[in-house]
Amino acid sequence: MTKVSIPEPEGLRARYPDVFERPASARLAWPLMLLVALAIFVFGLVHLGFSPWRMLNGLHQLGWITLMMLPPNPGSSLPTYLHALGETLSIALLGTTLAAVFALPVSLLAAKNIVPSNIFRFPIRRFLDTIRGVDTLIWALVWINVVGLGPFAGVLAIAVSDFGALGKLFSEAIEGADRKQVEGIRASGGNALHEIRFGLMPQVFPVIAGQVLYFIESNTRSATIIGIVGAGGIGLQLAEQIRVLEWQKVSFLILMVLIAVAVIDWISSKLRFAIIGPRAVV
Amino acid sequence: MLVVEGLTCRFGAKAAVDNASFSVEPGTFVGVIGRSGAGKSTLLRMINRLAEPTSGRILFDDLDVTALRGRNLRKWRARSAMIFQQFNLVGRLDVLTNVLMGRLADIPAWRSLAQLWPEADRALAMSALEQFDIAQYAAQRADQLSGGQQQRVAIARALVQQPDIILADEPIASLDPRNTKIVMDALLRINKHFGITVFCNLHSLELARGYCDRLIGMSAGRVVFDGAPAALTDHIARELYDLEANEVMGHEVMGGAPVPAPDGATVPALGTVAA
Repeated sequence: MTKVSIPEPEGLRARYPDVFERPASARLAWPLMLLVALAIFVFGLVHLGFSPWRMLNGLHQLGWITLMMLPPNPGSSLPTYLHALGETLSIALLGTTLAAVFALPVSLLAAKNIVPSNIFRFPIRRFLDTIRGVDTLIWALVWINVVGLGPFAGVLAIAVSDFGALGKLFSEAIEGADRKQVEGIRASGGNALHEIRFGLMPQVFPVIAGQVLYFIESNTRSATIIGIVGAGGIGLQLAEQIRVLEWQKVSFLILMVLIAVAVIDWISSKLRFAIIGPRAVV
Repeated sequence: MLVVEGLTCRFGAKAAVDNASFSVEPGTFVGVIGRSGAGKSTLLRMINRLAEPTSGRILFDDLDVTALRGRNLRKWRARSAMIFQQFNLVGRLDVLTNVLMGRLADIPAWRSLAQLWPEADRALAMSALEQFDIAQYAAQRADQLSGGQQQRVAIARALVQQPDIILADEPIASLDPRNTKIVMDALLRINKHFGITVFCNLHSLELARGYCDRLIGMSAGRVVFDGAPAALTDHIARELYDLEANEVMGHEVMGGAPVPAPDGATVPALGTVAA
């Protein structure tokens, strides 16, 4: 190892006092913040009645349930379950498609490079925030009261809540687009629609498509949850079987959802690579 | 004839272009020279109306370009084709569609938006690509081409606009020496063959002297030189470029020797491929 000598340590200290003598506030800031975070965490545990004993006592119950789940067995309800799974997939697909179709034009209006004026953009962004702020589950409960129980309410719940989410994500993708390509269209004599269609869409389409595909996958899981509150699909069956403690059927249903999500994930990754691949998007 | 009268563009308190006035006869190859930030880009962008003039006028024959709006403005933009330093092609569209973008102002919007390009327009685009020796890439994505090829696609796009003026904004600044010659020769051929006026922003004085009929020198937004390349003395060039002078003029200048005539001074024969 080479030993590097310091020619005049005193001079260095004098020239860069901040480096050598950090004030107490700077040195203590980090430990203090960690301490505060720990205090909040502990307070939360105490406040919510968290006790390791209840966990340990309940643990054997969890083991019990797991044992009773084996082997997964649909009994005689397989046709019903397949139908319910199909319903869940349709809810996810239709809901996401509707959300994307409505989100795209609104996201253009929410993007800074399309609508530079803050006065017009602000209300649209807040509108999307508000819709997104209410969870899919809440929307499902609302729509069940409006259109009644069943998959239609599920489709509406997903469409509305994801309209808010996709609108925001799309507008961010649009804002991240390269301005030069759009400028090339404008300089050639294209109108605003041409700029969006030929300058912007080819750039943002792969991003948008990836987001929509992910949402379809994620909504297959969401559709299971909103099924529990009565918006149709496999969630309804799942909730029922948990209620009557038919654990073998429960595990079978869970496996069905897992397989469905895995298949969708596989298909969507194939599609995504086809879209971002070397071919021209037109 | 293109006439620019007292053209000014301010960004805040700073004038990017300050009271520029000149007129250009059709068919001239005009080189706009000056240091980075001298206002060359803004001048060209104002002529295409990508940048809004703060004051002054641009006239083309009887047309008041500065007053154009809407559809007429788009028609003008097609007539004054821009070529950019970064090519400004749509990377994910294929080469042919990129060239067809030059036809947008001339065909109905529903046809272009639905990609129902008329046969004649496709033929025009392909022939433009063929002229620059890149027709075989028509179906490829633009971002898979090399820089020199992309700039030729951009020139093809400009050509199918059937423009009266081509405004080339530092078209060779991102290219290597070989592609620089290919692109400059292509511009020169368009200029001589079709009689299209070319405005070309150039950083290199050597290229400007070699290719241009007329030079407009800018410094801090003002037009400080306007004349034939031969009239641009080393003294004026030195003032234009200040400290960068030796770099852009070549090191021979340091010894006081004249700048040698570049290879590009000869006009390439018509119909020969640029490559």
